Amino acid sequence: MIEVKNLVRTFNSGDRTIKPVNDVSFELEQGTLASIVGKSGSGKSTLLSLLGALDKPTSGDVAVNGVSLASMPDAKLTQYRRRDIGFVFQQFNLIPNLSAVDNVMLPMEFAGMRKAARLQRAKELLEQVQLVPEKHDRRINRLSGGEQQRVAIARALANEPKLILADEPTGNLDEQTGDHIIELLSALCRDHNTTILVVTHDRALANKTDRRFRLQQGRLTEEPVRNRATAAAAPV
Amino acid sequence: MSVLARSVGNAFRNKVRTAAVVAVLAVAIGLALAMLVANQAVGAKVQELNASVGTVLTVNPAGGQGFEGGGEPLTSEQAATATAVPNVSAVVGISSLRLRNAAEAAAQAAGGQTGPGGGQGVSGGQAAATLTTSLTAAVDAGTLGNRNQAANGTTGTTATQPVRSLPITATGIGAEVDTTGKALAITEGNGLGDYNAESTNALLGTTLAEKNGLAVGSTFTINDQTYTVAGLFDAGTTFGNNAVYVTLPTAQTLAGLPGELSSMIVTVDSLEHVEAAKAALQEALGTDKADVTQGQNLETAVSSLDSVKNISYIAFIAALGTAGLIILLIMVMLVRERRREIGVLKAIGAPNRTIGLQFVLEALVLAALGSAAGAVIAAFASSGIASALISTNTTTTAAATTGRGMPGGTGFPGGGPGGPFGGASQLLTSVTASASPDVIVAGIAAVFGVATIGALVPALLTARIRPIEVLRGE
Ligand SMILES: Nc1ncnc2c1ncn2[C@@H]1O[C@H](COP(=O)(O)OP(=O)(O)O)[C@@H](O)[C@H]1O
Ligand SMILES: [Mg+2]
Repeated sequence: MIEVKNLVRTFNSGDRTIKPVNDVSFELEQGTLASIVGKSGSGKSTLLSLLGALDKPTSGDVAVNGVSLASMPDAKLTQYRRRDIGFVFQQFNLIPNLSAVDNVMLPMEFAGMRKAARLQRAKELLEQVQLVPEKHDRRINRLSGGEQQRVAIARALANEPKLILADEPTGNLDEQTGDHIIELLSALCRDHNTTILVVTHDRALANKTDRRFRLQQGRLTEEPVRNRATAAAAPV
Repeated sequence: MSVLARSVGNAFRNKVRTAAVVAVLAVAIGLALAMLVANQAVGAKVQELNASVGTVLTVNPAGGQGFEGGGEPLTSEQAATATAVPNVSAVVGISSLRLRNAAEAAAQAAGGQTGPGGGQGVSGGQAAATLTTSLTAAVDAGTLGNRNQAANGTTGTTATQPVRSLPITATGIGAEVDTTGKALAITEGNGLGDYNAESTNALLGTTLAEKNGLAVGSTFTINDQTYTVAGLFDAGTTFGNNAVYVTLPTAQTLAGLPGELSSMIVTVDSLEHVEAAKAALQEALGTDKADVTQGQNLETAVSSLDSVKNISYIAFIAALGTAGLIILLIMVMLVRERRREIGVLKAIGAPNRTIGLQFVLEALVLAALGSAAGAVIAAFASSGIASALISTNTTTTAAATTGRGMPGGTGFPGGGPGGPFGGASQLLTSVTASASPDVIVAGIAAVFGVATIGALVPALLTARIRPIEVLRGE
């Protein structure tokens, strides 16, 4: 369960103040697959970074299972990012001189998982996102954008987070792989009761989610999802 | 992939830069090590010089020039005054005489020669009594001596002059020590027993005894008085072995100057007290009455070496500081360059300590490589630097300490700028043999410490800011 209350994030650029996140409030039940759509520059990434504790709101609060992020000390926020959140960045943000498998193992290393166990899990995750085994040990800067995207998704899944925040995860993927990623995310919601919030321009993806939000000039509104079948299957 | 593996990997991420950093670090650390070696080499030299002087001070009459005279003679009362000075453990009175071979003296007198002979101006003074003996000196006058004799001789008689030997030094000693305060090394026979009582026993230098065919129990004369050889000693030098030792009162009686001393050997209880005792002694005896010296002009040599030691120490610190500064700046630069990466690590849940550790390990890898390469450089450079620093100074030292037999004129081992192996072994010996290997440990620890702080501080400062700020960075 994630509760967002009156969240505001302002930036001062010169003498102007911009509000990419302006009084946003919503709640997501555990296991919901939700999407956020909106024009470029509407504040989607900003909102996601607030939910992932990568940034601090100007005002308002995010509560995860009743615990407010605003009240957490830095060490607890680190733990929150490590254990509870899986973040897929718009620009992937992988470590370029490490191999695909090493990148996926990183969050598990920070969580203190043993080396053999994390190597095995990393390889499984890379197979799930359909990265061919020959490329598991390849350095990130020798992988294509689509391949990097899949490594980034695998890394987000590493510590079995309760909440996955994905910023345009299918943006760099061909239709087929994109569809597969959507299947994977839906399956996670179903089987592991993972909450997923995905920012997307992809109509197909947006229509497969349980709930859909639109962000416009910092204001969040919920839209009905056309594909009722998927929505009905999800707990509300 | 562990933190360590990642750090090592990161250290070699940009190979060209890593090579450059290691090279610059190596030069600085190599210089620091070479300076440390030089410092210790000079330190060892200073210690050697000090040890050779030991805890012994020599008191001469103020302005005295030995047999040349000058100043007023020292007295037994002054010996008592010296004994009362704090930290003085022993005072030995010395009365020096010069012996000339009786036959030569007679021949010279017959030849109508006047004035001093043997090129040794005896122009009067407190202890300049010249006596005759049956002994023949073990040292030839040599080219210099003969030239002096010729110059002093009456014109026209040079052709008939017999070949003469140098005078023999006879010293009355108040204890079984030589004129420099060192214990006499008696090789045969016995000492003189009570050195403060008159006696007809004497100690002869080995070469003097040999020259005159004397052994323990043989007799010889000084001023027609017969003396028995009680023992032979080896002073280690030709000059030192051309000597006779008798008891102090015997010498004073022979000279006809009872209660007068030509010099005093004052022993101080420990090396640390030498400086203070020397000042106190000079104060007690009065600058107008006595000159207190430590060895022979050694102080100037020691002090010039000391300044070299200080300079090399400062250079050591400076080079080490440079190494520290290099690694500090490199790490600040590396952390800045990888701000975004730090943000990513933070965003996926890396604790600050993991991020700090990763950069510290990377810095230590660079420092270790720099130190290893620096040690190689030092191995090449230190022998050259150390010998260059010391040899210039030992020349002065050797000159200043004639007759003292300074051990190893160009002392420092290692035979010049030898190959890397000579250099390496020299580095090792001088480092391991040094009195304070903790200095080098401290130095390397300082470099590693600076590396640690240089990596930790910027890494933690970066890790503390919100991940999004660094991620958005570029
Ligand atoms: N650190 C910042 N300083 C100033 N303006 C920012 C900063 N971060 C984002 N913005 C602005 O906030 C707005 C929303 O950005 P973003 O959340 O990235 O949009 P989206 O992801 O929807 O494209 C944009 O106008 C962007 O320029
Ligand atoms: Mg965005």
